[in-house]
Amino acid sequence: MSTRGARSRPVALITGASRGLGRTLAGFLATAGYDLVVTARASEALEAATSELQGATAVRALAGDVADPAHRQALADAAGDRLDLAVLNASSLGPSPLPRLAEVPLEALRAVMETNVVAQLALARAVLPALERAAGLLVAVTSDAAQGGYPGWGVYGASKAALELMARTLAAEQDGVAVVSVDPGDMRTDMHRRAFPGEDISDRPVPGVTLPFFAWLLTQPRAAVSGRRFQAQADAWTLAPEGTS
Amino acid sequence: MTAGAALRFERPSGLDATRPPEQRGTRRDGVRLLLSTPRGHRHHTFRELPSLLEPGDLLVVNDSATLAASLPARRAEAPAGSGSDLGGERFRLNLSTRYGERLWLAEPRPSATQPGPLPGPRPLPAGERARVGRLGQLGVTFVAPYPGLPRLWFVMPDAPLEPVMALDGEPIRYAYLAEPQPLDAYQTVFARVAGSAEMPSAARPFTPELLAALRRRGVRVATLTLHAGVSSLELPGGADADEKVLYPEPFAVPAATAAAVRSARRRGSRVVAVGTTVVRALETAAENGEVEAMRGFSRRFVRAGDVRGTVDGLITGLHEPASSHLALLLGLAGQEMVREAYAAAVAGGYLWHEFGDSHLLLWEPQATAAPRVRHDGGQEVAMPHSGRLP
Repeated sequence: MSTRGARSRPVALITGASRGLGRTLAGFLATAGYDLVVTARASEALEAATSELQGATAVRALAGDVADPAHRQALADAAGDRLDLAVLNASSLGPSPLPRLAEVPLEALRAVMETNVVAQLALARAVLPALERAAGLLVAVTSDAAQGGYPGWGVYGASKAALELMARTLAAEQDGVAVVSVDPGDMRTDMHRRAFPGEDISDRPVPGVTLPFFAWLLTQPRAAVSGRRFQAQADAWTLAPEGTS
Repeated sequence: MTAGAALRFERPSGLDATRPPEQRGTRRDGVRLLLSTPRGHRHHTFRELPSLLEPGDLLVVNDSATLAASLPARRAEAPAGSGSDLGGERFRLNLSTRYGERLWLAEPRPSATQPGPLPGPRPLPAGERARVGRLGQLGVTFVAPYPGLPRLWFVMPDAPLEPVMALDGEPIRYAYLAEPQPLDAYQTVFARVAGSAEMPSAARPFTPELLAALRRRGVRVATLTLHAGVSSLELPGGADADEKVLYPEPFAVPAATAAAVRSARRRGSRVVAVGTTVVRALETAAENGEVEAMRGFSRRFVRAGDVRGTVDGLITGLHEPASSHLALLLGLAGQEMVREAYAAAVAGGYLWHEFGDSHLLLWEPQATAAPRVRHDGGQEVAMPHSGRLP
């Protein structure tokens, strides 16, 4: 899967890697030959995930909050000089149950923006040089809430809309790094459970449903995907015809 | 009737094409062709196709070439480096879809003609190692099963698989074939871009002579590419076609083909897809309304209520009960035409599968009042209208 051949193993950084999509993706990448740098706030869950992943690959696990500048620097240091893939997956849903914008405390809005927008750009900036050296790929995990206007999803959705626009802009500004937004779609995850407290979400697919998409994304020419927004559960993942991208 | 019920019919045994028509005493274009229109169903041979189409009609064909995608393989039971990793259990690795040089979707099978999954501890653990090639010359890692289709695995080879295919690969075949056939038997006259695990077989009856006759008739031809993955035909019952279990396949619709399709539609000429692969590629490329140049991976499930109307006709083989292919036919041509056609095919002794007979469905009524089509050799088919298939 690496474009670097057998010289060295590719390296991926995944945030929010202890559960859900991040955990699933980490497992796939570990078996596919990536060395991993993983992080999550819950240190016990991260340790459990790490001990499973270590059977397949080299893992550096750092528990912490991506909103903490020192933690971001530690992650960038752990990633090293060359980073092939960074998945900005960790994010904050905000208050649960989801409040309407008319009632949401402004402090909650500020906190979500800090984690989902400011911290994401800061982490992206911290690893950009290493991504550039590896002609790597930066993936911003987004949500259809970024485009939906769904009641209750205003805070989270606004933060993801901002994240998407930053991803597109970074893609246009950075020559040596590809940047994409990925909407994984509805999934059976803890975040979804928090968004719909008390509801049965067992009809949602498990995060593994997105793996064919990531398998596709990681094998595409970086220049062809950069700047795009993809839906992992869509019927088709398409690119402009050859020669026009 | 539910869509699921409409997808089921009884296909008597003995209607399998067990070898290519060239080995059954005829030519590629000598297979039978069932013509289905709103006016009924007629029996023809494939080489009469030019007379069944109109000048200006556009045939869209798939130029994907078939791979020698079935590889001998053995499990590497001993840990790497122990020097004894050539003794593992033998199986076939049927490659389905190339994601990249180092990542494929593939189906491990106990043998060439037996469906998977492999006997032994299940599920196959992620990270399982195997070796492919007659001499076990290349190592592969089983990365993860395909979600919802655990018989398929993402597989990562240590180096490109193409040299192993060239040396030791065979075309994927299933149990109904009398004997293995060479790779040439699996290439259509349009084959140009290698990538299909299974032949895009709707185009198999076309020959250079037939193409010349189509040109003289004024029928145009445009190409696109869709690399078909494995179908695993004999899996019991097959997947429920009501479920969304299609996996994505690589496709590319060139600008010239997209333009030819739009131009045919503007002229009022018919767009006739050669194969369900072509329908899926065109329907995917019409996500913004009209067909546009596009490439990517598609798992679009074309079925009733999910049709973008890019094609007016289809040349295809005869499909299995309850398959997604049959759901596509029902979606395009309607239940009545397809049920009648399959009754006629069964009654007429048509042959199924990649070396079998052919079916031309033209569900749009023709614009001209008097049919200009001559039905040389065509016989009227008496159709049961009971609504039940035999």
